[in-house]
Amino acid sequence: MPFAVAALVFMVYPVAEAVRLAFYHYNPLNPDGTNFAGLDNFRAIAADPLFWQSFRQAAVWTACSIVLQTAIGVALALLLHLPLRGISIFRGLLLFPYIVPTVVIALILQWMLNADVGVVNWSLRGAGLIDENVYWLASPGLAMLSTIALNVWKYTPFVTICVLARLQTIPLELYDAAKVDGAGTFRRFADITLPQLADVLAVVVIFRTIWTFNKFEEIYLLTRGGPGTSTFNLAIYSFEQSVASLKLGVGAATGVVMMGLLFVGSLVYVRVFRFDEEPSQ
Amino acid sequence: MNTLGVLRQVVAYLVLLVVTFLICFPLIWALSTSLKAPKDVMATPPQLLPPQPTLENYRNLVTGKQQYFRADQSYVPTTAAPQHFMSWFGNSVVVSLGSTAISILISTLAAYSVTRFRYWGRRIVPYFSLLGYMVPSIILVFPLFLVMTELRLTNSLWSLTFGYVSITLPFCMWLLWAFFRSIPIELEEAAMIDGASRLRVFIDIVLPSAAPGIIAAAIFSLIVSWNDFLFARVFINSIENLPLTVGVMHFFEGTHVDWGLMMAAAVLMTVPMAILFMLMQRHLVAGFGAGAVKG
Repeated sequence: MPFAVAALVFMVYPVAEAVRLAFYHYNPLNPDGTNFAGLDNFRAIAADPLFWQSFRQAAVWTACSIVLQTAIGVALALLLHLPLRGISIFRGLLLFPYIVPTVVIALILQWMLNADVGVVNWSLRGAGLIDENVYWLASPGLAMLSTIALNVWKYTPFVTICVLARLQTIPLELYDAAKVDGAGTFRRFADITLPQLADVLAVVVIFRTIWTFNKFEEIYLLTRGGPGTSTFNLAIYSFEQSVASLKLGVGAATGVVMMGLLFVGSLVYVRVFRFDEEPSQ
Repeated sequence: MNTLGVLRQVVAYLVLLVVTFLICFPLIWALSTSLKAPKDVMATPPQLLPPQPTLENYRNLVTGKQQYFRADQSYVPTTAAPQHFMSWFGNSVVVSLGSTAISILISTLAAYSVTRFRYWGRRIVPYFSLLGYMVPSIILVFPLFLVMTELRLTNSLWSLTFGYVSITLPFCMWLLWAFFRSIPIELEEAAMIDGASRLRVFIDIVLPSAAPGIIAAAIFSLIVSWNDFLFARVFINSIENLPLTVGVMHFFEGTHVDWGLMMAAAVLMTVPMAILFMLMQRHLVAGFGAGAVKG
């Protein structure tokens, strides 16, 4: 029992502190000047155009990432589900990006996307697709694209693993029966595989949406939210408010908004799957 | 058994090879760059295989030798970063292992307690852990920083150890709760009727059957704490106490970025995770199945 209490302390206390902080003016250089702010911090972010810009950008970033991750993840899972010799080696290699530290892939992408000596520009030039070097991380649209690419690269394996695990539980008899009835490959995919995958895909999409929306490192390490503020999301907005502007209360208020959105996401999850049931498997 | 024709098999293997190459390319390219001599790193056209493979970058990182960057035959000193590389590596190891040990200890005992004893509030623990593991670290980092300041732990490895426990504990807790619940209690009861103490039963019966869950939780915890950047960025401000993730950012200082050295650092940072991954692939997938994934 004491350990259950310890566990609760570690899990609940920081969150409670975060919420409390959102209602205070707090400057770490002047902790004595801390005073109750009521809803001031929330008013401040609601009036800040950068907050809304970050919000929109986060929505775009999340939507693009999730669509790509799901599409590629399902395709990879189908590929890895083929009855081939040595498939487990490929499985291992294709799932590897998930455990690569974000810092590492961010460093590698900065090197590959380097405008002057990067291998990406060189390949595109060699293929005749571009005439001049592209400044991937220095132009707003392309920087957004690059961070999406990083995110998709790193987290698609998550989708693949979940889908693959589900694919392995679909009874083969269903396919045999469909074959006997003369259904082609595509029909079998659309009528058997997809409906069977629907529930696991719903879980994966909800969870990935919640986490992707709140991601920090995946963007910060590649672009610092830049150029300008073109790749800011709410997490980076909150970080910049706390670190650069030293307005910890405003940062925390942003955090509370993020938690509210997260809570809505969880409600969707609870709605779709009754909460007290075991999670998939 | 579903089998494919020869032609289809060949096509499938080709597609697999191409896809694998594309996905692994960033890592292959990093490895290739790290093995190149400085003059080959920037060469055009870039070469996939280093013309004269060398371990010099790695040697410099491990020995902490002051770097010089050769540009146009002249030597320009780069950052002091390589000198600290090994201590950063050590910090990462200590902090990851420490926080994982604490997380696993607390969550194993707590999960056992919640599933085996009856007391008020035991039902809320798993719900809070689910909630806790959905909360992103950006929300926790500043409140925890203030707590660490009050405890006078900032800028120490302890702050990181405890900080990581608060990220990893919720999902360890959730995973182990699900795991302990699925272990039938009858065997334990039978053993206790036979006169075994609760501690004996815990060590001889409960722990062995919970081992796969505990291993999966430990792997996730190690991955999360090894890969963290944000907590270290906020908690630590002296260069020698940094873990690798923030430390390597110092390679960007100075006028020249030595990409060969940088990529060697990136590769070395990935190696422990790669070893863990290969050893534990089976358990990793088991953990995914139980829904205990943060990321």
